[in-house]
Amino acid sequence: MKEDIADNADDGTTDFGFTRVNREAKAHLVRDVFDSVASRYDLMNDLMSGGVHRFWKRFTIELSGVRPGQTVLDIAGGTGDLAAKFSRLVGSEGRVILADINAAMLEVGRDRLIDTGAAGNVDVVQADAQALPFEDNSIDCITIAFGLRNVTDKDMALRSMLRVLRPGGRLLVLEFSKPVSPLLGKIYDQYSFQILPAMGRWIAQDADSYRYLAESIRQHPDQETLLGMMANAGFVDSQYHNMTGGIVAVHQGFKA
Amino acid sequence: MTKHDPALIGAALAGAERALNQAIRLAPTSHRELEGLVGTRLGMEISSFDLTLFVEIVTGPEVRLMNHCEAPTAAFVRGSIEDFASLATSDDPAAVLINSGIELEGSSASLITLQQVISRIEIDWEAPLVDALGDVVGHQIAETIRGIFRWGEGARISLTRQLSEYLLEEGKLTPPQTELDHFFDAVQSVSMRVERAQHKVAKLLAKAADRRTGQ
Repeated sequence: MKEDIADNADDGTTDFGFTRVNREAKAHLVRDVFDSVASRYDLMNDLMSGGVHRFWKRFTIELSGVRPGQTVLDIAGGTGDLAAKFSRLVGSEGRVILADINAAMLEVGRDRLIDTGAAGNVDVVQADAQALPFEDNSIDCITIAFGLRNVTDKDMALRSMLRVLRPGGRLLVLEFSKPVSPLLGKIYDQYSFQILPAMGRWIAQDADSYRYLAESIRQHPDQETLLGMMANAGFVDSQYHNMTGGIVAVHQGFKA
Repeated sequence: MTKHDPALIGAALAGAERALNQAIRLAPTSHRELEGLVGTRLGMEISSFDLTLFVEIVTGPEVRLMNHCEAPTAAFVRGSIEDFASLATSDDPAAVLINSGIELEGSSASLITLQQVISRIEIDWEAPLVDALGDVVGHQIAETIRGIFRWGEGARISLTRQLSEYLLEEGKLTPPQTELDHFFDAVQSVSMRVERAQHKVAKLLAKAADRRTGQ
């Protein structure tokens, strides 16, 4: 339970990558990172993952089982790729809420949703995952893709998500995780700490932000730890699916 | 759900889905036929690869391919890759469903309609695969897919010929086509003769009745 130890420390600090910072400072530092990468976020995602992030998200959408007429909340939805897909699935009777704490990311997401014709059933909301500004029992499905690791208090965020979900509603957490093979883990480490910051420097002129992304992935709870955190928050029937050898995992849990 | 990496399956499905939908958009007849199937979901288990896939017809109409689906399906089919290749290329899908190793649960109607639509359209497997995976890998996978379909078509022709030979030569379960034609001609000839005889008898009976009333 590495994350619990990190976040529950009495000294009022939490991790920001491999650095310890004040809890209050983390949100500002994360915001600075995403302000810096927002305009090139999708391009960098494609380059960093070789395009595979699209298939990780595709499987997450399949798992969601979203049907026409439902309400979907995409937290840390950033540039809106999941929201655009959900917009088609819920149809004109349904509703999709694209939420992100970062205004720069939301701006990119909103522009992209308009460009792709996903309008009419999508709301764009600047919101903190730890204190979601939505009514209790109002959402059918919540997704948070590559966002939970940037949240300061993950337990608080999970409880907030549970509160707004309808009974029977589903949470899907898509996040980097721990490779199942030690060999893949070593290759992945080399890639994350050598190649990734270099790509950030060449393409986004921002090596530090991409170094933070790599470090935050390592600090994020592994599959079993996150599963335990979901159970502690009150989610039931929780399970996870590893993808690409465990580099990424999608966790699923339901509100009883 | 399958035991394979969902990202890998997702990549393959994304390429196939794009190729199918591109072909459907260019085929107005198929487009119209698919509109009647919007909302229909079909499941298939390919035993050769231990792979379960789902097809959903969504508004557009477009085909959506999935690795996971919790919603109920109109039909669920199980079989080997060879069975599915034969089904995909068959002119008579109902016969393949009955005669091949495919197991079917649910209604075959939507499955047959979808098969007929897909078998008629010209799918360019290579373009979306090359777009997604690059020239070398995309071309190789497209070649493999084309090979599977060529094999399926060959297997269907070969199976039809072998079945015919078995019924005629080995099992002697049915006479040859020429013998049957001769038999049907003879039956028709007898039928016509009987008909003529019936008319003659009727005519003679009428004459006899006239004579009796004349006396």
